[in-house]
Amino acid sequence: MNTLNTVVRVLTRWALVLFLWSGCDGGGGSELNLVTCGSLVKLLNTRHNVRLHSHDVKYGSGSGQQSVTGVESADDANSYWRVRGQTGGPCQRGAAVKCGQAIRITHMTTGRNLHTHHFTSPLSNNQEVSAFGEAGEGDDLDVWAVQCDGEHWVRDAAVRFMHVGTRVYLSVTGEQYGHPIRGQREVHAMPSANQHNWWRAMEGVFIQPSAAPLRHDEL
Amino acid sequence: MATKGMNLCNVCCLLLYFTTAVLAGRDFYKILGVTKSASIRDIKKAYRKLALQLHPDRNQDDPEAPDKFADLGAAYEVLSDEEKRKQYDAYGEDGLKEGHGGSHNDIFSSFFGDFGFMFGGNRQQQDRNIPRGNDIVLDLEVTLEEVYSGNFVEVVRVKPVAKEAPGKRKCNCRQEMRTTQLGPGRFQMTQEVVCDECPNIKLVNEERTLEVEIEQGVRDEMEYPFIGEGEPHIDGEPGDLRFRIKVLKHAVFERRGDDLYTNVTISLVEALVGFEMDITHLDGHKVRIVRDKITKSGARLWKKGEGLPNIDNINIRGSLIISFDVEFPQTQLDESQKDGIRSLLKQSSVQKIYNGLQGY
Repeated sequence: MNTLNTVVRVLTRWALVLFLWSGCDGGGGSELNLVTCGSLVKLLNTRHNVRLHSHDVKYGSGSGQQSVTGVESADDANSYWRVRGQTGGPCQRGAAVKCGQAIRITHMTTGRNLHTHHFTSPLSNNQEVSAFGEAGEGDDLDVWAVQCDGEHWVRDAAVRFMHVGTRVYLSVTGEQYGHPIRGQREVHAMPSANQHNWWRAMEGVFIQPSAAPLRHDEL
Repeated sequence: MATKGMNLCNVCCLLLYFTTAVLAGRDFYKILGVTKSASIRDIKKAYRKLALQLHPDRNQDDPEAPDKFADLGAAYEVLSDEEKRKQYDAYGEDGLKEGHGGSHNDIFSSFFGDFGFMFGGNRQQQDRNIPRGNDIVLDLEVTLEEVYSGNFVEVVRVKPVAKEAPGKRKCNCRQEMRTTQLGPGRFQMTQEVVCDECPNIKLVNEERTLEVEIEQGVRDEMEYPFIGEGEPHIDGEPGDLRFRIKVLKHAVFERRGDDLYTNVTISLVEALVGFEMDITHLDGHKVRIVRDKITKSGARLWKKGEGLPNIDNINIRGSLIISFDVEFPQTQLDESQKDGIRSLLKQSSVQKIYNGLQGY
């Protein structure tokens, strides 16, 4: 009886190992420290220590669109942006963003996309950066390329965002607004790559890739 | 006779196996209600469902509730870890290495959030004066395949957490009117900003893994909240993190409630003489269609039970509705073919003229 027990036990153990090995419902890969499609992030400008931010306040000049600023606080939900693919482009939920990949950056609370165009920024006379669109849909000027070293966009790594349409870099140079957004910094775009255009993904909700749902293919 | 003997032997062995299993510790598979070959996803699903049912806050009348809940946590902790599960299957609970006394709270909160134990709207009933951090809403895109079979999405939450820091800070700042005496009978009222002193706090980023379940049959715009996983508030409680489901369009199936709609184009020949085909469903299984009668363009076939599972009861399924349209031959017919068709089909000329848009 004892030998039969051990035999049954051993058999179950090996059956389990084989089962797990066979990759049936194999777990998704781990992208624990990468920024992935669909994730929410806060982006910190490393030179000026402010987070990319937007709100329901429009520019008083330039395009008059929704303004994008840099804020010092770390606990404002208006600093969350969602990483998405281009319109119709592939960006499967949980897939790691590659260096050089073109993405859209959508403001979580207002649903508008990070956008730049040929308007002058109010404080520094660089190119104005705004939040544009409705419910995540804007136009071709919403597309930015993530520039980084290596293969994928790593959380905590300093990356640059280059605008695909006008070839400029998302930057902060330190100019501050007055009332009603006192203390917030101007965010604009400039043609040169320098110390002012490094950004780091800080807080956020980073989606990991999932296993494909179970399939029941008949032979 | 031989078979009867074998059956008895099998039963005896099974009984002995199970008794030894029971004596050797808890049966984690039974506690979770899953089979020994359950996938990690089945285990997560079972844990999530039972955790909501068995939580002590929900079962305050049951004296055994904390024990049952602790058993559930231990079962999930072992069966969700590949290594530990292998050991458990081989040696039972006693065979597990020491040091698996991980906090059940961690497991529970990865499915429901930090303050997930506040059931029944307790959170809203709390003192409104406690300030709350912002809520975060994340649109979670799901495919129709995931709606059909269910899935789990792992998410890493990096959030600022309030930690003590040396020194003091100003908090609860407010405007107050101060009255100062300038002289006998002369007073002046001024407005002043007055703050309390509180222990200093700094925000430090912490990481944790959360599990969101895409339930079978989930509807568009449904939300899954994780209490306390939103933005922190320095003087109060953190807000919540909510995942809002967004069901993506599908190339083959269209969803209406629990029903699925699809279109199939068949040739004129198939429409007239019949055909057999398979439709591959969302989880890979095949739906067989056999027609031996004439199939008109616009004809619909209802396949009961081949729709989506209902989110409240996954044993109830909607239907799959297949609409057929007919593709006519591309090449024109010559005279002999036309004569052949006239004689084959034996359908006289119809030429009925009517207003089709108003139901005549």
